[in-house]
Amino acid sequence: MRNQWLVVSGRWPVKLSAVSSQLAAKCRSLAALGMTILMGAVVLIAQEKPVVLKGGRLLTVTHGVIENGVVVMQGGKITAVGAASTVNVPSGAQIVDATGMTVYPGLIDSESQLGLTEISAEAMTNDLVEMSDEIMPHMHTAEAFHAESALIPVARLNGITNAIIAPESGDTLPGQDSFIQLAGASANEMLMIRDLAMPLNFTGGERRNRGGFEKQKFPATRMGLAAQLRQAFLDAQDYKAKLADYERKKADAERDKKAPPLAPKRDLKLEALLPYLDGKKTIVLAAESPSDLETAVNLANEFKLKFVLNHISHSQPVLDYVASLKVPVIIGPIYQAPKDDERYDTVYSLPAELYKRGVKIVFASYSAHNVRNLPDQAGYATAFGLPYDEALKAITLNAAEVWGVADRLGSLDAGKTANVVVANGDPLDVKTDVKQVYIEGRAMPMTSRQTWLRDQYSK
Amino acid sequence: MRRTIRVKTAIGADGYAPQGLKPAFLSMLNGTAESRALPKTHSASRWRQFVLLLACVIAMLPCSFSQAASPKGHDVLIKNATVMTVTHGNIKGGSIYVKDGKIAAVGEKVNAPAGTPVIDAGGKYVTPGIVDSHSHIALDDDVNEATSPITPHMMMKDAFDYQDKAIYRALAGGVTTSLLLHGSANMIGGQAIVIKHKYGLGRDELLFPNAPRSIKFASGENPKRVYGGRDQLPSTRMGNFAVQREALVQAQDYMKDWDAYNEKIKRGDKDATAPKRDLKLEALADILRGKLMVQIHCYRADEFLNEIAMAHEFGYKIRAFHHALEAYKVPEDLAKDNIGIATFADWWGYKQEAWDAIPWNAVIAMRKGVRVAIKSDSEDYTRRLNQEAAKTMRYGGATEEEALKMITLNAAWIVGVDNRVGSIDVGKDADLVIWDGYPLSSYGVPDKVLIDGEVFFDRSLPGLGMTKYREGQ
Repeated sequence: MRNQWLVVSGRWPVKLSAVSSQLAAKCRSLAALGMTILMGAVVLIAQEKPVVLKGGRLLTVTHGVIENGVVVMQGGKITAVGAASTVNVPSGAQIVDATGMTVYPGLIDSESQLGLTEISAEAMTNDLVEMSDEIMPHMHTAEAFHAESALIPVARLNGITNAIIAPESGDTLPGQDSFIQLAGASANEMLMIRDLAMPLNFTGGERRNRGGFEKQKFPATRMGLAAQLRQAFLDAQDYKAKLADYERKKADAERDKKAPPLAPKRDLKLEALLPYLDGKKTIVLAAESPSDLETAVNLANEFKLKFVLNHISHSQPVLDYVASLKVPVIIGPIYQAPKDDERYDTVYSLPAELYKRGVKIVFASYSAHNVRNLPDQAGYATAFGLPYDEALKAITLNAAEVWGVADRLGSLDAGKTANVVVANGDPLDVKTDVKQVYIEGRAMPMTSRQTWLRDQYSK
Repeated sequence: MRRTIRVKTAIGADGYAPQGLKPAFLSMLNGTAESRALPKTHSASRWRQFVLLLACVIAMLPCSFSQAASPKGHDVLIKNATVMTVTHGNIKGGSIYVKDGKIAAVGEKVNAPAGTPVIDAGGKYVTPGIVDSHSHIALDDDVNEATSPITPHMMMKDAFDYQDKAIYRALAGGVTTSLLLHGSANMIGGQAIVIKHKYGLGRDELLFPNAPRSIKFASGENPKRVYGGRDQLPSTRMGNFAVQREALVQAQDYMKDWDAYNEKIKRGDKDATAPKRDLKLEALADILRGKLMVQIHCYRADEFLNEIAMAHEFGYKIRAFHHALEAYKVPEDLAKDNIGIATFADWWGYKQEAWDAIPWNAVIAMRKGVRVAIKSDSEDYTRRLNQEAAKTMRYGGATEEEALKMITLNAAWIVGVDNRVGSIDVGKDADLVIWDGYPLSSYGVPDKVLIDGEVFFDRSLPGLGMTKYREGQ
């Protein structure tokens, strides 16, 4: 039944508005079948027919703006991008008139909790962070990710096509991030990369074990948090050595035709740390103030961890040091309140200040319900000095690069996945309305539980 | 959501404070006396007209109870601006002449006396100062007296921390007036204050002179959660409304006792003993007497209807539903009673009663005749309410003027100061924002913010960008 959602049938060429209204009509007729169809999962059957977006203003991200441009999507990929005069339109293609529209790559949210929560205040709908211990690297957000979340279409409607799913920041090591595409029939289809990164939170103010002396338990201070972290990575090193030793002895035993040695007991926590200890995966190092930042960076360097920085909202005094680390920064959010003695725009201008120093920046919603507002933040940063192109990059190509998917995502380039957004204007302006989202070349239904409610009550 | 922008499900309450123990009706009269001097009164609620009449009498008496000196002596000519008046369109290349802190003239050409200080807006947009009709800043976390579901005698003025930097940060975002409300833990919370964001001045100078009094009601999940969590009444919506009704019945009894006493006095009964004064019942009686504007934290459509029925039952008026995320379901019922809403642009899903929230709420309700304001309820969002208002242009197609009205004139109506602020009209307070960039976009940032004709924030200044604030203050 759900397949019907994706059948964008009809007479081509059509105006985009017509695409939307056809889909909306389908929504209404299907609404009676049950609300589940308005949830996250959308069956992504392979794109059958080439789709050509014609006449729009293309924000390619990699090679500037093309007025009156053409994007060809075929087999789920972008196959051509260019000025109308230079692109061959394949025969039999569905032509979509995007005149007057702005066309840009799907947006990437570099930290969200999509699929981990439904209603914030209702505990049973939340799988945000495991609070039983600070050191929880064996928690996999992929194993909690709820593909049918009603929040996902809401975000998708505003042009967010990919996102990092991270646990909330309650633990020092709360578990591992996943990278999703906001369409697919199931969690398996939507989870593009499992366990691709792991937050390490050293935001010193956030210590759930703090409290009166009578209530304190370890770790209650920064010293405690740092010691616990260091011990965890030392234990992982030890675990790794034992594994290596075992492998060696096993090989020896095989060679000598002896009984194999006893394998070390599997330890899921330590096992989870190994790819990070080996520098194969990225640690997302969160800190706010300069002192926490330097403590956390020193710790990461001690174990030669590969890392990107997160937040650093109050590290303005050490931005040159930040730049010297030559790692990307997930910023803010810029809506973090400045400290009381700071100027009102201290955090608003952080993206510009980092950009000036040559730091690669990305934005994140740090949210689930408000993922849809990701581009607003990028727009607002330009009002405080960030060049427009960099702001757009920070939610497209930069993010794709940080998460290792720039070969597939982040720009309008031939060969990349056809995650493409068509909107009625500037993607970074709060007023702009997204008219059509394509994921892997398929027109997404421009509906959500919210549009359904709207339509019910605005007749 | 990370701790930084975690959705505030906080529980608030509000109350405009009358002065100390002074009988509340005196401050009412003062408020209306000042508005009398203005050219037009937008709101026409009956009690205000009645009070206006009384005010004429009171105004002739020697008054020693006025709350704060009225702003004086600030003249300025803003020229070369795109003036977004809110009430009569945009004026390109327009000017605003401010005399004694009030707007004295606005138009393409205005006459200002030679020597009037000039601000050349350089073609930038000028809007009225933003009014945040639902805020809990500057209360030093004393937002909820959550020890009883009925606390109408709590005065937010008693908690007002006029040095809170949140006032400054909102000002830098273009907010000039805020309604600081009690939280929503209680069915009937406390009395709000209205402030002007004159950061750097003394406490009383930040109080909006003679603003009408508001009281915060709440309903739904918050009172349930707070008291139900302690195994107290109320723990259900039935309990919520029972507690509210019970309190209002007590107020009726209290009023009867006083009426009987006053009657005896009138008859010359020298043995009559006055009933004991009870601050809580006095405040509740003021609700029934129409002396307090009722601001109700309310999410669900069914609860709007119940609250409206309760208001009818006891004969008071509801000024506005706050949050009001399901207003789109029953807009006609709100419009019929002239009840406004102070809502979010697109917040949703943070609790069960916010699950049916849709970003088209504001515009759907507006199109059905509801007066709509976009408010912050947040120390964060109050800094960029212009963007929140702009979202209504996207979700539902509000016009520029309609969107702007939601954070100016309509918000001012909810606060009860729409005859004083909220538009660029002659006679109103010169609370003005000069914007870098188009205000209804991601790119609009206040360049200068004036209150009563005085520049309080100037982006070009070093440090905090403040004109009145001294470091270390």
